[in-house]
Amino acid sequence: MLKSKTFVKKTRSGGVLKIVREHYLRDDIWCGSEVCKECKDEAPVLQEHACIESDLCSYPHYLIPDTNVLLHQIDILVDPLIRNVIILQTVLQEVRHRSAPVYKRIKDAIHEKEKHFYTFTNEHHRETFIEREQGESANDRNDRAIRVAAKWYTDHLAKKTNGGSLKVVLLTDDRANKEKAEQDGLIVYRCEEYIKSLIGNPELMDRLALQPDDQNEITGSKLLFPEHLPLSRIQSGIKNGMFLQGTFHANRDNYLEGKVFINREGEEINEVLLQGLQNLNRAVHQDVVAVELFPKERWVAPSSVVLQDDSPNDEDADEDETENNVNSSVLKPTGRVVGVIKRNWRPFCGMLSQSMIKEATRHLFTPADRRIPRIRIETRQAANLVGQRIMVAIDGWPKNSRYPNGHFVKNLGSAGDKETETEVLLLEHDVPHQPFSQAVLSFLPQMPWSITEEDLKVRADLRHLCVCSVDPPGCTDIDDTLHCRELENGNLEVGVHIADVSHFIRPGNALDQEAASRGTTVYLCGKRIDMVPELLSSNLCSLRSNVERLAFSCIWEMNHNAEIIKAHFTKSIINSKASLTYAEAQMRIDDSNMNDDITKSLRGLNRLAKILKSRRIAKGALTLSSPEVRFHIDSETHDPIDMQSKELKETNSMVEEFMLLANISVAQKIYDEFSECALLRKHPSPPPSNYDILIKAAKSRDLNILTDSAKALADSLNNATVENFPYFNTLLRILATRCMMQAVYFCSGMDSDFHHYGLASPIYTHFTSPIRRYADIIVHRLLAVAINADSTYPDLMDKHKQTALCNNLNYRHKMAQYAQRASVAFHTQLFFKNKGIINEEGFILFVRKNAIIILIPKFGLEGAVFFDHKDRPSPRLSFDSEIPGVSVPVPESEPEAKKPKLDC
Amino acid sequence: MAAVQVSEAEKVYIIHGVRDDLRLDGRGCEDYRHMEIETDVVSNTDGSAKIRLGHTDVLVGVKAEIGKPKAMVPDEGYLEFFVDCSANATPEFEGRGGEELGVELSNTLCKVFNNRHSVDLRSLCICPGENCWVLYVDVLLLQCDGNLFDAISIAIKAALFNTRIPKVHISEDEEGVKEIELSDDPYDCMRLNVENVPCIVTLCKIGHRHVVDATLQEKACSVASLLISVTHRGTVTCVRKMGGGSLDPESIFEMTEAGKRVGKALHVPLMELLQKEESLGKKRQKVGFLG
Repeated sequence: MLKSKTFVKKTRSGGVLKIVREHYLRDDIWCGSEVCKECKDEAPVLQEHACIESDLCSYPHYLIPDTNVLLHQIDILVDPLIRNVIILQTVLQEVRHRSAPVYKRIKDAIHEKEKHFYTFTNEHHRETFIEREQGESANDRNDRAIRVAAKWYTDHLAKKTNGGSLKVVLLTDDRANKEKAEQDGLIVYRCEEYIKSLIGNPELMDRLALQPDDQNEITGSKLLFPEHLPLSRIQSGIKNGMFLQGTFHANRDNYLEGKVFINREGEEINEVLLQGLQNLNRAVHQDVVAVELFPKERWVAPSSVVLQDDSPNDEDADEDETENNVNSSVLKPTGRVVGVIKRNWRPFCGMLSQSMIKEATRHLFTPADRRIPRIRIETRQAANLVGQRIMVAIDGWPKNSRYPNGHFVKNLGSAGDKETETEVLLLEHDVPHQPFSQAVLSFLPQMPWSITEEDLKVRADLRHLCVCSVDPPGCTDIDDTLHCRELENGNLEVGVHIADVSHFIRPGNALDQEAASRGTTVYLCGKRIDMVPELLSSNLCSLRSNVERLAFSCIWEMNHNAEIIKAHFTKSIINSKASLTYAEAQMRIDDSNMNDDITKSLRGLNRLAKILKSRRIAKGALTLSSPEVRFHIDSETHDPIDMQSKELKETNSMVEEFMLLANISVAQKIYDEFSECALLRKHPSPPPSNYDILIKAAKSRDLNILTDSAKALADSLNNATVENFPYFNTLLRILATRCMMQAVYFCSGMDSDFHHYGLASPIYTHFTSPIRRYADIIVHRLLAVAINADSTYPDLMDKHKQTALCNNLNYRHKMAQYAQRASVAFHTQLFFKNKGIINEEGFILFVRKNAIIILIPKFGLEGAVFFDHKDRPSPRLSFDSEIPGVSVPVPESEPEAKKPKLDC
Repeated sequence: MAAVQVSEAEKVYIIHGVRDDLRLDGRGCEDYRHMEIETDVVSNTDGSAKIRLGHTDVLVGVKAEIGKPKAMVPDEGYLEFFVDCSANATPEFEGRGGEELGVELSNTLCKVFNNRHSVDLRSLCICPGENCWVLYVDVLLLQCDGNLFDAISIAIKAALFNTRIPKVHISEDEEGVKEIELSDDPYDCMRLNVENVPCIVTLCKIGHRHVVDATLQEKACSVASLLISVTHRGTVTCVRKMGGGSLDPESIFEMTEAGKRVGKALHVPLMELLQKEESLGKKRQKVGFLG
């Protein structure tokens, strides 16, 4: 039976469109219950004995939640206790429109077999489809559709069980809907009512999201925040330029300050500073907000105070606005949030701070991310949750409440536990770390795998070459190998052979999509979150020694001055002769007794690398530094037992040089071939103001740093040394690293600036690590097409799709980096856990008004040390932002004596 | 237009018949052929109608779009006509064959319908000088069997009757920026007043008399015809002479009178029919193109 759905829509250009869609109704949509014999469902989802023990419903029953219940109480619905739920299509569609994350979670729950969740496509069922009536709003229509479907189920099941005990329970929090449903003779409960009635699971109560009418009674009537404007006002305000739209970023160090980045093109102001709770007006990190600018007289400089919101009190004292020393040169536009356009709330990980009143059920939750405000939750199991890492979701932030209200979602485990903390930092950094799905694994090659005749036909056979790999110890995903040999004409042949991952990952399949979404492998201390399944990363694509592997080779003919005479790319088959570590390779080079092929090859490479490096540095490539540490991990307990700064050997830089060379060669090749859709990597030169901290720091030792060009910077950094203070230069380099911009992937058709500032290369890309970076896979595919070794596909040549991909990759890379740092920081803390007080040399990196940021190079540890303390009056300090420095009248005690707070 | 070959003897037969008020198919001089009307046949238009008059088959669709009013009349919307002579209708329309006829038809329709006496153009105004509704009236000729004008005009009247324009309201913020907002209820719409929409009656001069709703053969016997648009009150709103022959003033007067009489009589059953069809609501059996 055919029906048509008609609706009118306004187009972006202001026109009005009438849209008609065909809508077919069927009579072969099964009810999905085991009881039903009439519906010819082969694998019914809903159980006959659907037992959730409840005071209210002692009979077996199926649940039908309405849209709002599903949206707000998803945390309850996904609990393993709740089973046999009918999700109506009407509900599912509405959820999909309103909240993508909830939609994803409910979809996952539906796919889970043990949950017995059944999607009933009521909109296409002949007996449950309803048309919107005159004068009925879309919401009313959907509510009616839900009631009609529930009624149909009630009658259907009653008929099938001959009036038996199986019933259907509708859950709704909407009073009008409930009344109407009762009139229709349905069994209907409010969600809270129902959950309370469940026997033997008080824990679920905590996960109930608070309803708006409950919230009012929680807090006093004092209005703390100005009202948010309605969306229509905001939109018209943005249109006429009264408000600006942007993404809110909370300040990590000062909870009373935040910035809004205006993401509209052509706007002169791209950053608005917000100060004070009133002006932040309940914006949470990452929300899309509308801000109103203040007049110029009220523009201020960002404060340099470190403030942490750790008042133990729930109802808090008035915050004193930080007075600002007016310095007209650094005035930033300021403003206030007038409304929130889109909340970007996700579940947050953190710890519970138990209320001081013993029987209280309302507690504050402190998120791990300092940019997120503390959240008030209601729980009766606070005592159990103390010391645990828990996950909490925000439900809302009423204008009379100091903190947002939320509810408990899940317990991740006890704090300090390695598993738990790793889980927390993966979740907090949005790193996809679930095991690979069956669909993804199905695209892996069949084992045992071997090279076929066909591969031999289309690939260059380089098995005879003396290829070897040099990697850090314990590396199992080897994606690059090298060789070097002398040619008959006296020139050198140098080859870089990269694992041919694109041979195994074909465009568009589930494996490819998963890898594209993960974007990168994430290396944590003692754990690796793979981008591709292990079979590929550690076996088939890993170029281990003495096995035949497929590779993508980049081969140059060079003279002894490391000048490229010819470059050549080919798909190949190689057989690595040795997998060396950096130290082993270094030993071979240094040991004059060894003269085998591998060693000779290494020496040749090393010699060329030195020439390449000096040439690169002459061009102005930067050598920067960041405090990196390695842990010695106990093999039994996986606890760190020792740590040391990473040291770099000559061989590190040897491998690096050739990887750079390969990347640059490939970048040039793919750009020549596909000027519109080459995936490249650029590193923009930082704006001059970024160097302020570096110049000021150097000035403190009367040194001058030139920042006009990369070359000038590199040279002046080389000259910036202080006698008796060898580490000063490294410190400057660490600071210089912080002045830099992020290097990013981009699509050549969408940008004109290709320059890589740090490497001083006009063009650059990533080609050499396809096992752990998705960008490299795309570059491999482009190169393969360029040399006619593979066929192309539409998405590869679509610059908009590629830009979208680049955005994801950039995001994933950034998050992976943060996760990595967080993991190091956590392991550092583990390391110090049993160490007690240690004295170690530290350096002051930055000076803030009430704190100094200190770096301890030996541990790569950085933290803020506050001057004022709760139990001590703060010393009188005079702060001068110019130097920047703090004069302390009385010498302070050793800062290292205190355990620094870590920046997780 | 579709040509039929009529011999001299046949012509004489037809002309003599007409003189005696008896036409080839048995009709009198002022009788129409059998007519079938159905409205709301194309779901993605805002109003539509299909008419079948003898073997002449016409489909009319009305689309409402927001446009800018004409500078001369800032407080009125307007109608635009397009007539598509599909090659299905007759082989002569193949290629660009139907173009000329299409333009002629749409120009005439524009003259007849696009004025404030026929349609209440003021009701199409959304915001004077800024926005108004433009009704695009698309006519598709499915089959030609003479008397296109009459058939098209009736179909247009039916389609306009069926037209439902979504209701919009204008919101204005402090800055004076106007924004058009759509109602979210699909039933919330505006209807046109079609009371004064005229119908066209074409009278063909055959011999000394004239006939309405001429078939192709009759048309071949006629040298000139008069096109008269008449409202339900019998007011003549447009007269146009077509064809190469001449008409003397007296017969023009006679033909106008006859046209008024026929046109007035045409409106009453048409409106009754349309109202009756609408009152059936959703229970109406749709015939569509298969009927």
